[in-house]
Amino acid sequence: MGFTSAVAVMWYRQVKKFYMAKPRLLGSLAQPILWMVFFGLGWSSTIRGPMARMLFHGLDYMSFLAPGVYMMSIFIVSFMSGVSVIFDRQFGYLKELLASPAPREAIMLGRVLGDSTVSIAQATVLLMAAKALAPGISLATLPVASLVGFLAALCFTSLGSIIAFKMETFESFNIVNTFITMPMLFLSGAFYPIDTMPAWMRHLAYVSPLTYAVDATRGLLAGYSHLPLAVDAAALLAAAAALLLLSAAAYKRATVG
Amino acid sequence: MIKAEGLTKRFSSLTAVDHISFRVEVGEIFGLLGPNGAGKTTTVHMLATLLKPSEGEAWVAGFSVTESPGEVRKHIGIVFQEPTVDRFLSGWDNLYIHGMIYGVPRGELKERIRKALEFVELERWAGVLVKKYSGGMLRRLELARALLYEPEVLFLDEPTLGLDPQSRAKMWEYIKELRRSQGTTILVTTHYMEEADRLCDRVAIIDRGRIVAEGSPEELKRKLGSEVIYLRSRKASELIDELREAGLSARMLSPELIALAVSSATEAMPKLFTVLGNLIKHVEEISYHRPSLEDVFLHYTGRKLRDSEADAADFIRMVARVRRW
Repeated sequence: MGFTSAVAVMWYRQVKKFYMAKPRLLGSLAQPILWMVFFGLGWSSTIRGPMARMLFHGLDYMSFLAPGVYMMSIFIVSFMSGVSVIFDRQFGYLKELLASPAPREAIMLGRVLGDSTVSIAQATVLLMAAKALAPGISLATLPVASLVGFLAALCFTSLGSIIAFKMETFESFNIVNTFITMPMLFLSGAFYPIDTMPAWMRHLAYVSPLTYAVDATRGLLAGYSHLPLAVDAAALLAAAAALLLLSAAAYKRATVG
Repeated sequence: MIKAEGLTKRFSSLTAVDHISFRVEVGEIFGLLGPNGAGKTTTVHMLATLLKPSEGEAWVAGFSVTESPGEVRKHIGIVFQEPTVDRFLSGWDNLYIHGMIYGVPRGELKERIRKALEFVELERWAGVLVKKYSGGMLRRLELARALLYEPEVLFLDEPTLGLDPQSRAKMWEYIKELRRSQGTTILVTTHYMEEADRLCDRVAIIDRGRIVAEGSPEELKRKLGSEVIYLRSRKASELIDELREAGLSARMLSPELIALAVSSATEAMPKLFTVLGNLIKHVEEISYHRPSLEDVFLHYTGRKLRDSEADAADFIRMVARVRRW
């Protein structure tokens, strides 16, 4: 069993699986759109004018928010796909995978790449729609932003599966949602700038890779980033490498049956 | 095709499989019959190289399971007791992904999938999500999956567990057809006597990790006589002395249960009354019938195959399964 064909077939599985789940496809696309429309329009009609432009570094609120929601969508889809390893265990499918002669690193990598592909595809569709509400967004830099998105997706799928392997039961799913997904989103700078946060919050924010991902995409799509792009990219690369390695280790450790 | 010698598996303090030895010939359908927790699944996992034996050795398709597990894996197919399919993919995709990660030659894969699906009559369902399949269809899909690499030896762990009688009969048909057309050697585990009786050429009765009897279902039943009479009594130990003195082949199965192997129950019954004389008033229950594999099991273990113990185990397993949610 070749390494590459195992990666390829796992990629196929993740993508096909997502494509087959129509309601999920629609749901995960609708969620960020709802954020854009209600949260975005709600706030942008509250904070308007030159004051807002100053707060959001020359951007109107919708254009400030759109790259954040783009990254939020990548984050949620890829993280949840990573966590879905627990479904596979629940339904016995993990046994089928781990008992196979295919290298486990290949299975892990194929999965991560497949989930990342799915989340990028979805976020791209979302961004096209968001453009209608956020005039300050440029789609010309979308290919580069997708690269950043892909790197972020690698981080979060890996993170998701590392956590899934640690979870004993499915009930812990909600705990993860409350204590990992929500704080990471609020700290990411997707909804409000990081530089005006209280110091302790700002320090926490810089621990999370999501923060760098949001900053980089905002820089690319809306033209403003808090940190230099190179710093964001370096932080994301380091996080992706570390998390991929940890995730591969978790797959290797997992026992069959 | 399969040879086990002194195969043993210990899980810390528990000996799940205790020095079992048996042989399965080429093209045979061999059954491991026993209650839940008897060690059937553990045995299969050891033969399929998913578990390392604590002691003993086994050969499958000519290869040692301890020395060349990789070679063994290339020659076997396995259907696990609990479903291991991906419910959110179609049946075809399940087979395709399985074929790919288990190394079925790429050029042949699509043709083999077609043949396997045709064999289990699921062609029309190939594109449908597996979560919409019935229990019987799910098992058939898993059988098809195990057939993808055209195994010489097929392990089926409780292939009809939880299926309705109709689906069960259908599964038996497929298994028999497979042996007929491909000459596949098949090892089935089951706790359904009827299944072992109808399906298997030979069975090994396994209880608490040991093989207590082995032979064709016919042989095993014949050993018990052509009919068996059961006597239930609280004074069974007194009764049995009388019966033995009179030259009847009586056996104590449990402190309150005696079995008599006879050639004809209707003829033996009057003699029984004469022999027991006054003691007959201590007999609470008399029954007789042609021996089934259930009687064989009772004969060798003193317990019924599906007694309360097995039911309790079933229940605990079910609870465990539910709680994992």
